[in-house]
Amino acid sequence: MNADEWLRVFAAELHQRRVAVDAARHVVAEAATHLREGGGDPWLVFGSPQAYAATIVESIGTAPAPRPGPVRLDARGITKRYGRRTVLRDAALTVRAGQIAAVVGANGCGKSTFLRICAGLISPDAGEVTVSGRLGYCPQQGGTADFLLPDEHFVLVGAGQGLTREPARQAGRAAARQLGWEADRDVPARHLSGGTRQKLNLTMSTLAAPDVLLLDEPYQGFDQGSYVNLWDQLVRLRDEGRAIVVVTHLLNQLDRVDVVLDLTSSAK
Amino acid sequence: MDPDRRGQWLRGVLDLCVLALLRDGESYGYQLAQALDTAGVGPIQGGTLYPVLLRLQRTGLVTAQWREGDSGPARKYYQLTAEGRAALRQGGNAWLAFVAPVTDIVTKGVDG
Repeated sequence: MNADEWLRVFAAELHQRRVAVDAARHVVAEAATHLREGGGDPWLVFGSPQAYAATIVESIGTAPAPRPGPVRLDARGITKRYGRRTVLRDAALTVRAGQIAAVVGANGCGKSTFLRICAGLISPDAGEVTVSGRLGYCPQQGGTADFLLPDEHFVLVGAGQGLTREPARQAGRAAARQLGWEADRDVPARHLSGGTRQKLNLTMSTLAAPDVLLLDEPYQGFDQGSYVNLWDQLVRLRDEGRAIVVVTHLLNQLDRVDVVLDLTSSAK
Repeated sequence: MDPDRRGQWLRGVLDLCVLALLRDGESYGYQLAQALDTAGVGPIQGGTLYPVLLRLQRTGLVTAQWREGDSGPARKYYQLTAEGRAALRQGGNAWLAFVAPVTDIVTKGVDG
């Protein structure tokens, strides 16, 4: 196990032990800096990732356990047919404030359809969705305006909340930074890479501070670092009391999720 | 030296050593470890040092700040707070009051 792997396992151990996201990030960064300056085998310098994570928990404690709040999203008996094909049959999901729900399942099992129904973009053939509070929706792609700069996107979203230009711009850049993206360059959206455009998309969906945040595979084009940043950000939003629904086909983050809806068996 | 014994001693005074090293100015983990080694305390591994720093930070005896160094990567710099200074004075005096008689007794034993 090289230093990078050790740090990755160590970070995962801290998360598993529910160390607060920002505290964990600092501890990992400090260990990385130490290894870079002093060299040395992380196993000798820090011990096993598990044991060191346990020591850190003793030193700084863990984040308060999430107390799920009131129900924010309640979807019941959702059925959707396209022609003769039943895409969803009697799917149900309840998400409370302070929870992350993952909607998983094979390609074509209706994950995106389910999310679009939750967002109110399409109607189910049967069933009911109740949302309490403000809703944010981040589609798989699109949602950005080709000829506008990131700042102009932020101003646009801000205007919807009654923010003037400068506060809106600052809020946008700060939210982008949470995803590891410095959004200060004057590049129109059409010239951003796919991953960065997706970060813009995500940033906008969090800017309105929605009570319920619906994300449809929000990591298209992300590298590993951006992917980790995304999950850190989701956990942070969860701990602020948002209700989050993530459509995903990647299962390796399920340990950081509170509710799982597997749609593989729900249809047909 | 018997590493177990050295480890036990260190556990009792590493926080005081760190506070003392920060008395005249801020420092970061790796530099503190080097300073301790240079002073003759011996090598201090990161796994021993950083939990102590985190505890000092949590209890408000030091504050910390990430900053780019003059050269090299961003580092977490630690500074002594007023409470840290007071704890250093109090704990340092208690330590000196403790080791003086111990040294006395042990010296007699070793010399005799």
